[in-house]
Amino acid sequence: MQNSEELKWALLIASLAMLAMAFCMIAFVMYYQKRRFEEEKKISDIEKNYNRLLLDTALNSEETERRRIAQDLHDDIGTMLSLTKLSLNQLGKLVANSGDEKEESIMKKSQSLVEETILHVRRITRDLVPTTLERFGLMEAIEEFIHKLEEDNNLIIAFQSNTEEFPRQGQKLELTLYRIMQELVNNAIKHASCTKIDIVLEIDEEMIGLRVTDNGVGFDPEKIKESNLAGLGLLGIESRLAIVNGTVQYEQPAKGGSSAIARIPVNPASGNKPEPLHPFRRERVNI
Amino acid sequence: MFDTYIAYITKNSIFSIAVFITVLPIALTIIRKAFLDQSLRLLFCYLIIKLAIDLVMLHYASVRLNNLMFYNLSIPLFYALLSGMFYFKFTARRQKNLLIASIVGFCLFSGWDIVNSNLNLRDMNEHRIVVYAKTVEGILMIALILLYFYEIIKSLQIPNLLTFPFFWVCSGLLLYYSSLIFVAPVLHYAYTWKNPQALGMAEYIPSIFEIICALLFSVGIYHYSPKDYAKQ
Repeated sequence: MQNSEELKWALLIASLAMLAMAFCMIAFVMYYQKRRFEEEKKISDIEKNYNRLLLDTALNSEETERRRIAQDLHDDIGTMLSLTKLSLNQLGKLVANSGDEKEESIMKKSQSLVEETILHVRRITRDLVPTTLERFGLMEAIEEFIHKLEEDNNLIIAFQSNTEEFPRQGQKLELTLYRIMQELVNNAIKHASCTKIDIVLEIDEEMIGLRVTDNGVGFDPEKIKESNLAGLGLLGIESRLAIVNGTVQYEQPAKGGSSAIARIPVNPASGNKPEPLHPFRRERVNI
Repeated sequence: MFDTYIAYITKNSIFSIAVFITVLPIALTIIRKAFLDQSLRLLFCYLIIKLAIDLVMLHYASVRLNNLMFYNLSIPLFYALLSGMFYFKFTARRQKNLLIASIVGFCLFSGWDIVNSNLNLRDMNEHRIVVYAKTVEGILMIALILLYFYEIIKSLQIPNLLTFPFFWVCSGLLLYYSSLIFVAPVLHYAYTWKNPQALGMAEYIPSIFEIICALLFSVGIYHYSPKDYAKQ
């Protein structure tokens, strides 16, 4: 009888001990899994930040290099061309006095070529460093960009904004939006075979939205991503946006063509007004 | 007849709750369409067969007939269904092959154990519970569950275990088999027709954890969403 009671107690204790182990095992799996996920998340965050830093540095270097080339073009080649033009003007007067028509014609051609070269250098310089953007802001820079494009291409480009006075944003943010707009418009011209491009710039209390819509052949962004066809352009847009916590979304409007919407959190410019780019400074620029 | 059932259920309330609680995960499986998942489909089959066998056993017990034959026969069947769930969860071919081998091996072993534990198989009145098969089933199931837990931790594919249906199913099974593993071999000696031995509280523990197991199944099935079916 006593043995029977002891057996009952032994069974009870053994079962309870086994159950306690089972509970501990379940709790351990839950705890360990959670901890490992947290560790993985930490590592992933570190990698993400590191990649972001790399990307930021690469884009900074690119902008610095663009500025350096623009500066060299403006300071060295631009100055030399201006001096050449002055010399040619003086020489032109001498040739005009000699009365040789052939020489005069060659001189005029040379003067015209130098003037054209000066204009080209100026255009390249402005393309490299959007001075209008830094001086007057995003709306003016986009308008200038559109104006130049319409001159060179048989295109209708419409631009509208939900505000007349677009508040100045941080230098990096403005440059990011400008470069994305440039890339999207260039993509539409190069790949979409479109005749009309609409650019819409919107701002509210939290976000800035940039929408570029064209009436071209359109594309399926998912297919492009799946087939690894995303060129440097689309990747570049995503990389630039990643640095300023922005997002991009591609749509296919029902009426055809394609539409890209980039959204970036508002980051108003600090009190310091950006210094004008001219004369170009040689120090590294902080974007 | 109805009074006999009521009297038996009232007298053995914990055992009876363990029988009828199975309806809850079955109903939830139908409502949440959990049978779309291959593993949960096997669980659904297990629950339906378990309910049917339990009801037959309840009927036999209430009319005072030996029902242990059904208990013995359910052991290989339940192991095949429950361990079969892991076939769809393990990814390595070796683990799957081992699992199939264990099902075949265990079915043969439990068949032998039924014969070994009941020398006169025709005597249904004196039929007794198997000596080893239930314990071996428990050990194998616990081993499978622990292996699956190891796979979960290793693969890190489930971000939140608390919303993962199969984790709840495994937790329920782990608790149930842990509660049974020491009691199971003793049942052979305790549950005899002529001279049954009471095991006290230890007798109720497996039934209590059978109820908890069914509740954990229900929680898991409740978390199942057909739209996540493709992801699992």
